[in-house]
Amino acid sequence: MRFTTDATSGEAEFIGNGEWRVVIDGQAHRVFAAGPADAPWIWYDGVVYRPDVYDRRTTSSTARRDTTGSLSAPMPATVRAIEVAAGDHVSRGDTLLVLEAMKMELPIKAPADGTVVSIGCRVGELVQPGVPLVELR
Amino acid sequence: MFRKILIANRGEIAVRVMRTCREMGIATVAVYSDADRRARHVLEADEAVHVGPAAPAESYLDAGRILEAARSTGAEAVHPGYGFLSENPAFAAACADAGVVFIGPPPDAMRAMGSKIGARRLMQTSGVPVVPGETPADQSTRALLDAVTRVGRPALIKPSSGGGGIGMRVVRADDDAEAAIEGARRDAEHAFGDGTLYVERLVERPRHVEIQIFADTHGNCVSLFERECSIQRRHQKVMEESPSPALTPELRTRMGEAAVAAARAVGYQNAGTVEFLLDPSAALGAGDQSFFFLEMNTRLQVEHPVTELVTGLDLVRAQLLVAAGQPLPFRPERLNQRGHAIELRVYAEDPATGFLPQAGPLLLYREPRGPGVRVDSGFSEGDTVPVHYDPLLAKLVVSGETRQAALARADRALGEFVVLGITTNIGLLRRLVQHPEVRAGRLDTGLLDRLLPELTAGSSEMPEPVAAVVGLYATTPSAVATPGHATNDPWNSGGWRP
Repeated sequence: MRFTTDATSGEAEFIGNGEWRVVIDGQAHRVFAAGPADAPWIWYDGVVYRPDVYDRRTTSSTARRDTTGSLSAPMPATVRAIEVAAGDHVSRGDTLLVLEAMKMELPIKAPADGTVVSIGCRVGELVQPGVPLVELR
Repeated sequence: MFRKILIANRGEIAVRVMRTCREMGIATVAVYSDADRRARHVLEADEAVHVGPAAPAESYLDAGRILEAARSTGAEAVHPGYGFLSENPAFAAACADAGVVFIGPPPDAMRAMGSKIGARRLMQTSGVPVVPGETPADQSTRALLDAVTRVGRPALIKPSSGGGGIGMRVVRADDDAEAAIEGARRDAEHAFGDGTLYVERLVERPRHVEIQIFADTHGNCVSLFERECSIQRRHQKVMEESPSPALTPELRTRMGEAAVAAARAVGYQNAGTVEFLLDPSAALGAGDQSFFFLEMNTRLQVEHPVTELVTGLDLVRAQLLVAAGQPLPFRPERLNQRGHAIELRVYAEDPATGFLPQAGPLLLYREPRGPGVRVDSGFSEGDTVPVHYDPLLAKLVVSGETRQAALARADRALGEFVVLGITTNIGLLRRLVQHPEVRAGRLDTGLLDRLLPELTAGSSEMPEPVAAVVGLYATTPSAVATPGHATNDPWNSGGWRP
């Protein structure tokens, strides 16, 4: 099928099994795509592109923080240690708990000074991303 | 020869051992946890036995359940792979007691090398050079802090039993030694069930060069040459090669002799690896002080295929023959390194977010093929990478006539490796093999960390062919491959299939 982007136009054909052939100015390119329609994974020339996630990439292993002040795991992980209790005052950078995934320890640190309102996990528990682990105020 | 063996492991190494078993007409028994019900190693085995929940301590580390699986299936021997129970002398001894052959060294040799302090003492009396370090008898945090002071900073803190970089911590001049000691102890207790820690002086900018040795039960013990594994991140190897660009024939001979002496000192049998630090600052002609004994891995190594590609041997086949009491299946005088081999470890991890391990479904998974390319992996398309285990996805091993040819082949093969659904380090590996320092062979164990900013620098620019497919993908229903379940759910190991 014919396509046009901001910069160029050409022919693209879906081959099957995730593979696409894109021809621009006579030059053929191999592309693979998979995943949800609104959030695809795309491979081209050995590099993987995630067009939907460019803007929400984080650059550290610190926890995700949502607007209510609770911290959640950045990935599925096992809780290895809980370093604080409800009512504790913590400073920015203090280790709140330690997660472990795939043989790696991931300390979850306080993103700001505050007070621990509640702990939402137990040592040994397998936690999923997005589930609140510690609530800070 | 054995008629049936049990492989007490999972992932790529279990699959790799089974392949050799099939070539030798040996039936295979897999063991698996709840998370691995439909894992590759289970599907490729002749029989499979469930041994417990996903947590390693309750399944792959449970010696009792594994031996019960061997007994109930009539397996005559157990291959432990690497990690898990592979360096556990109590397990090896329990195998012997149960009348099952442990495919590896005798428990006493494992015990001697498993204790880092005992191994060092033994090496010193056997004339093998060692780096300053100690395992304090008093394992209190205070005593360990004193030990850090004695060996001097930078110091390394690591589990006394164990290996593979698990639990290891570096303490530099300004680092919090107490936090490092406590973290290492937690890791050691979790991974090995033993929190004893070892503290040693860190040799700066060393190369990691190890010697593969092989010993049989007839008194033969030989060196199968070196592998250089200087490209590491957090003490986890990322790229390994043979020959090492740093060794002269003379140094190779000396290191090989030291490795064989180390193995003989503990009455070693079967495959083993003696790891050395090679000190580049030692003046040439400084005698034995240019390399130091690090540790001996009393098992098959992750990177053993590198040695297989340069020597032409099948190390697992040799392991099985030697375990069955046969002599080394090769003539030592005919051994040599032919061409050059390089292994690259493909990890399910995201270099852009601090190397967070990734778990999830392999929506698309296409391994490279072609001349001089070998891929050892434990996954295939549609599988889910579980959260509970090591994030090693595959080992890409290439060989070529020369180091430069092998690097070009690695570059080509990495450029053909398609993995969609979870983030991997493939892009990083490709930039690594293209890097001038790597091409020039100027390696040390800190090189990868120093190159990381350069190797992970991302371009947000989307090439035209990608932009084209982004636009068309959503409107081409036949092309959209969507998993039917939450992508990060480790309990759903079935995965999506097209």
